[in-house]
Amino acid sequence: MADLLSWPDLMDHNVPETPRLAARLVDGEPAALARAISLVESDTRMAIDILRAIRPHLGHAVVVGFTGPPGAGKSTLVNAYIAELRKRGKTVGVVAVDPSSPITGGAVLGDRIRMAEHTLDQGVFIRSLASRGALGGLSAAAAQVADLMDAAGRDVVILETVGTGQSEVEMATIADIRVVISAPGLGDDVQAMKAGILEIADILVVNKADQPLASQTHQQLKTMLGLRGPTERSVPVLCTDAINRAGVGDLADAVDALADRTERRDDRSALAGRTRHLLAQAVSKAAETHVMQSRSEAIALIVQGIQEARLSLSEGARQVLNDLGGEVHDG
Amino acid sequence: MTLTATIPARVLVTKIGLDGHDRGSRIVAAYLRDAGMEVIYTEPWQKIDSVVALALQEDVDVIGISSLATDHLLVPKLMKALGNVDLGHIRVIVGGIVPDNEEAVLLKSGVSHVFHPGADREYIVDVVARLARDANANRSDG
Amino acid sequence: MNKIDTKVLDDRADRDAMAEEWRRGYEEQVSSDKVVKNRSGLEIQPLYWPEAGTDPEFDRKLGFPGAGLMTRGIYPSMHRGRTWTQRQLIGLGRPEDFNGRIKKILKSGASALSIIPCNSVYRGIDADEVEPELLGTCGTIINTEKDMDICLADIPIGEISIGLNDPNPFTMLAQLLVVAEARDISWDRITGTSNQSDYISHFVANHMFYRLSLTGARRVQLDAIEWLAENVPNWNPLSVVGQHMQQAGATPAQAMGLTLASAVQYAEDCKACGLDPNKFLERFTFFFDISISFFEEVAKFRAGRRIWARLVEERFGVTNPRAKRFKFHAQTSGVDLTRQQPLNNIARVAVQAMAGILGGLQSLHTDGYDEVFTTPTEGPAKVAIATQNILKYEAGLCDVIDPLAGSYYVETLTDQMETEILRVIQEIDDQGGMFKAVESGFVQKAIGESAAHFQDAVDTGEQIIVGVNAYEDEADGTSHPAIDRPDPAWIQKQIDSLAVYKKTRDQARVDTALEALRAAARSESQNTYGPLVDATRTGATQGEIIAVLRDELGFGRPLVVA
Repeated sequence: MADLLSWPDLMDHNVPETPRLAARLVDGEPAALARAISLVESDTRMAIDILRAIRPHLGHAVVVGFTGPPGAGKSTLVNAYIAELRKRGKTVGVVAVDPSSPITGGAVLGDRIRMAEHTLDQGVFIRSLASRGALGGLSAAAAQVADLMDAAGRDVVILETVGTGQSEVEMATIADIRVVISAPGLGDDVQAMKAGILEIADILVVNKADQPLASQTHQQLKTMLGLRGPTERSVPVLCTDAINRAGVGDLADAVDALADRTERRDDRSALAGRTRHLLAQAVSKAAETHVMQSRSEAIALIVQGIQEARLSLSEGARQVLNDLGGEVHDG
Repeated sequence: MTLTATIPARVLVTKIGLDGHDRGSRIVAAYLRDAGMEVIYTEPWQKIDSVVALALQEDVDVIGISSLATDHLLVPKLMKALGNVDLGHIRVIVGGIVPDNEEAVLLKSGVSHVFHPGADREYIVDVVARLARDANANRSDG
Repeated sequence: MNKIDTKVLDDRADRDAMAEEWRRGYEEQVSSDKVVKNRSGLEIQPLYWPEAGTDPEFDRKLGFPGAGLMTRGIYPSMHRGRTWTQRQLIGLGRPEDFNGRIKKILKSGASALSIIPCNSVYRGIDADEVEPELLGTCGTIINTEKDMDICLADIPIGEISIGLNDPNPFTMLAQLLVVAEARDISWDRITGTSNQSDYISHFVANHMFYRLSLTGARRVQLDAIEWLAENVPNWNPLSVVGQHMQQAGATPAQAMGLTLASAVQYAEDCKACGLDPNKFLERFTFFFDISISFFEEVAKFRAGRRIWARLVEERFGVTNPRAKRFKFHAQTSGVDLTRQQPLNNIARVAVQAMAGILGGLQSLHTDGYDEVFTTPTEGPAKVAIATQNILKYEAGLCDVIDPLAGSYYVETLTDQMETEILRVIQEIDDQGGMFKAVESGFVQKAIGESAAHFQDAVDTGEQIIVGVNAYEDEADGTSHPAIDRPDPAWIQKQIDSLAVYKKTRDQARVDTALEALRAAARSESQNTYGPLVDATRTGATQGEIIAVLRDELGFGRPLVVA
């Protein structure tokens, strides 16, 4: 441990002594959790130390992911769900992810505006994350931040993300229970819901239940679920009216029911699968950065080859990876 | 292969006191976003306790308070509250109609900079970026 | 008064007959018209129009003031018959301060009064619930009927038009009514407007004024409109406000379009309650910002008048010609004023005021040149009023009705603004109406985009603002003069007097009245405004009343679109 502490810090930050920070975090100190999140999010040297230090303390929290298209009332529903959890005496951590600008890298994070009623409640810790260039819109660090909140003793960790790009898929690898929210009259037909959503969802919610088309949307979803094979797990379809806090108790019950049956975060096989997936994403990001920023002659030639239609894109990709020293197999 | 890692500054843009006009703070939030920073943006009428809780949870480097009329006269209370929970490293800036005598009071209480209407984009961004670096250099961690 | 309706205008009507009709209406309003001559000795007519047989579009698009589409003005005589109301906003410190100031303002030429309450009142809290350093800086602290009585001491409230700037649930109006009652002035003599009754615009663009939740505000507004129609028949309960949206960054055409869409929403709500459009639309008024984009503003108002007259007929089947009138108060836009070289603002305000006057407003507030720093102080307030009088008496802006009509530019621009405004209204229709468009954030986003666009133009120097990004003065950068703040000891007296008031009122009666208000709010059908006035009469404070309504109807969380 002493060796690691004496490594020079690559970042321009004053770094805390990790053992003490981790201990304070596990103790439940919000300031320590906040600081640890920053260090982990920025992938500093100390990040792996912190993550290693908290490993023995994982496995308590249930991670519930919420996703859905803009306009479905996701933030309002999450806010109502938090209130319900607090009524039931649970402590909550929230990871709210908003997209970073692909051009400037900056972001305005406003998700927590809808959760303002919980700001002064010590039992609710809300952290806004920017996606920081993650392809699907979910921050690469989100999984690790969820772990930190778990280690800090939060009973439920809520992951909230906008349902664009591949964020549902990414969320699926991080969350124990995945709630997909839709609402009637959003302009998209239920049929147009992105492929794969039904595979991912553990719970489907039709919000804005007070609207006339809600029961129709509800029925359509149940029909679509029914079209899947009989061996598929059963997915409850709930109706909520987040503004009037109707149906939120049912949602909390449904999550609890699943939590008992779902693999928990200390289940090694599930964790390994998730970790492999996260590694794949990290490799993607690193490779993308490399290709975009490299000035190597070799890459320039590959780009030219593709432009002149002498190389296909996939052949070009293989060459880049070979250039990086790996062996690439098809399929 | 290189991984460039630039950690964006995190800035809380908020309003305390009674005023609810947020056109100015919205513009500043956009300036900071376009300069690559992460801005946590809130509703107006925040209580001092709430600002402290937000700053703590979000681990911000800078707090920007937009003020109308005498709202900024509450900022010294905020400075004190931040100090009480070990968040004294956070740099606080104020934007609004602030006469010289009140600006002096704010600076004395620990506010880092007071912006007046008409301050241009580059200037605001430069100051905030510099203050974010200062804040990080001054963290007292343990 | 006028029997010509819009259908006639579609035909190639006999213009001379229409002119006759107008002249009759004009003479009814102007009992003794004097001959007006200019400095060169030329006689100036009240109105000018093209000869019959020329300009075929005239009848369809312009016509005569006070008739048809009223593009040229809602009354036959407009400012020549009766000049616009000079209604200056005032608000500061304690009720005594307001009373002193309003008396001076009325003496120096204002013809109506307008009260701005303290920011604490806008938030619905009393003076004993907020940090003292925030009190009385931007408006008058008015928490009780006693405060209102002091504000209006020796003011003939039965004879003067009153603008009240408190939003839903209009506790200041209740206080005014209680004061009138105590002075033996019957409520049908109370005239004026609830200038900030447009809760939709507050939700969208002025969160300062937003108290009750969207649905709560909707409920109280309808209750108030209904109750006031019966009990205070000469009060305008609704002013649909375009000012906030324009100040938040909406373009002039956008602000007009969104305002008209809001008016449609309110009219639909009233109609759904069983009220008669021919009656309630007569009491609809509007409130607009006037920017310094001179011709654009003139065209905006002319187009607005035309659209509204047509719209109420098409959508609500209105036949009462008085219910088609687009009555509006306007305020020169504080957003165009600068901190740098503040005296320049006098010129800006004069130009803005001109645009409003030539656009045909009914009532005008001109900003003080120190508006950027504070609510009007005495000196700048006097200049603001003088500005209006100069335009009236020296520039002769009242002599001719709609004098810019017929200008190739102004008529083309009016048509173009009309098209743009109608496009905005259509967009809101497509969203399912203003209420829905605002709940979803559609309107806020649109305004935000316009605001960002304008800011870019200023930042890049494409839009020059004198003293800010061009013609700057070295001195401007450095000094920020002291601003008069209320004396803490003086403010403390107000807090103390509130405490005394609470002790000496009949607490049991107050509690009973507040319970009745609560019960009314909780029931879905009972009118809440009558109980609100009752509670005020017993001495309940605005904070106490709003706390009850906040509990029952929800407190405002305007959708903040980041």
